[in-house]
Amino acid sequence: MTPCDHLSDRMPAVVLRRTRWSADEEAHLAGCADCRAEWDLVQAANRLAAASPGVADQAALTDGLLRRLAEEPVSRVDGRAIRWVGLAAAAALAAAVWLGAGPGPTTVASGAAEPAETLTTAQVDSLLERQDVPLAGWSMLDTPTLGDLNEDELERVLRTWEG
Amino acid sequence: MSAPATELPTDHALAAAYGRGDEQAAAELVRRHADALARFLYSAGAALEETEDLVQETLFRAFRGLHGWRRDASFRSWLFTIGGNLLRDEARRRRGRLLIQLDDRQLPDRSDPHAELAAGEAEERVRAGLSRLSPMQREVFLLRVQEGAAYEDIAAALGTTAGAARVHYHHAVKRLKELVR
Repeated sequence: MTPCDHLSDRMPAVVLRRTRWSADEEAHLAGCADCRAEWDLVQAANRLAAASPGVADQAALTDGLLRRLAEEPVSRVDGRAIRWVGLAAAAALAAAVWLGAGPGPTTVASGAAEPAETLTTAQVDSLLERQDVPLAGWSMLDTPTLGDLNEDELERVLRTWEG
Repeated sequence: MSAPATELPTDHALAAAYGRGDEQAAAELVRRHADALARFLYSAGAALEETEDLVQETLFRAFRGLHGWRRDASFRSWLFTIGGNLLRDEARRRRGRLLIQLDDRQLPDRSDPHAELAAGEAEERVRAGLSRLSPMQREVFLLRVQEGAAYEDIAAALGTTAGAARVHYHHAVKRLKELVR
C-alpha cells in the first residue's frame, strides 16, 4: 500500500475526529498535492453533512411514520419470491420474442404485454434499481469509466491490479 | 457509587422488537438515524424542501421491508441505500432533471480571480459534484466520508464486495476532484 493509499484510507476516520494524523502522515500530506486535494474534498463533504438540515420535528416525523405503517400493513412477501416472479415474466417475454413466428402479431403482442401488465410496483422498482445511473449531469461527453463497470468486471480489474 | 450503565439495545434488537409490534422500538430507530439520513439525502442532492418527505418515505419503506435487511450491513447503511434508490426514482420521475439546480449561474466563475468566493462554496461544489456521480459511487463516498463506514459494511449494504466498494470510492474521489476543481 502506497503512502497515498494509506492516507486515503485514514481520511474518513480523521475527518470524523475518531483519530488524528501522525507526524509522518502530516508530513506526507504537506508534500503531496494529490492527497491534499483529496483531503480538501473529504473535509468539504464532511462540512456539507454538518451544514445539512436535520429533521425539524422528529416527534411529528415518527407519529406520521407510525400512522402510515399502521394504515399500510407490512409486506410479508419475500424479495426472492418477487425476483422469481420477475424472472418468470422476463422468460415469458423472451419466449414470446423468440417464438415470434406464431399465429400472428396479435399473439406476440398479447404474450409480450401480459407479463408487463402483471408486474407489481415493487417488481418494476426492483428492475429499475438494477440500473446504476447518475442523478444529474447526463452527458454524451461522459466517457465510460471504472465506475461504469458491473461488479464482476470490477472484480476482474481488481484481481488484475492486486495480482 | 454510580449506577451500572444500562446497555442500549442494538439496532438489530430494535428491529426485531418492532417486528413483534413494539412501536417504541421503531421510534428509537428513527431517533437514532433520521438526522443522519436527512444529511445523507441532502448531501446526495435532495432539494432542501423535499428532504424531510424523503426521510419519511425512506423510513417507511425500510420498516415495511425489514425482512430485506441483510444483517451483515448496519441499519444505517441499509437505510442510506434505500434513500439513494428513492433519489434515483425521483430523478427518473423527472426524466433526468436535477434535484438540485446545477446550472453554471450557481457556481462561482473560477476564471475570475476577483470573484469573491461565497461561504460554503466548496461544500456546494461537492454537493453538485456528488449529484453527477453514479448512485453507487455517491453512496460509497458518502458512507465512507460522512459515516466512516468500513468497506465491508458498505459492501454488505450495497450488495457488492469490499474490493469493488474500494474501487468505487477511489473513482468517486477522482471524479469529484475533476468536478470540484
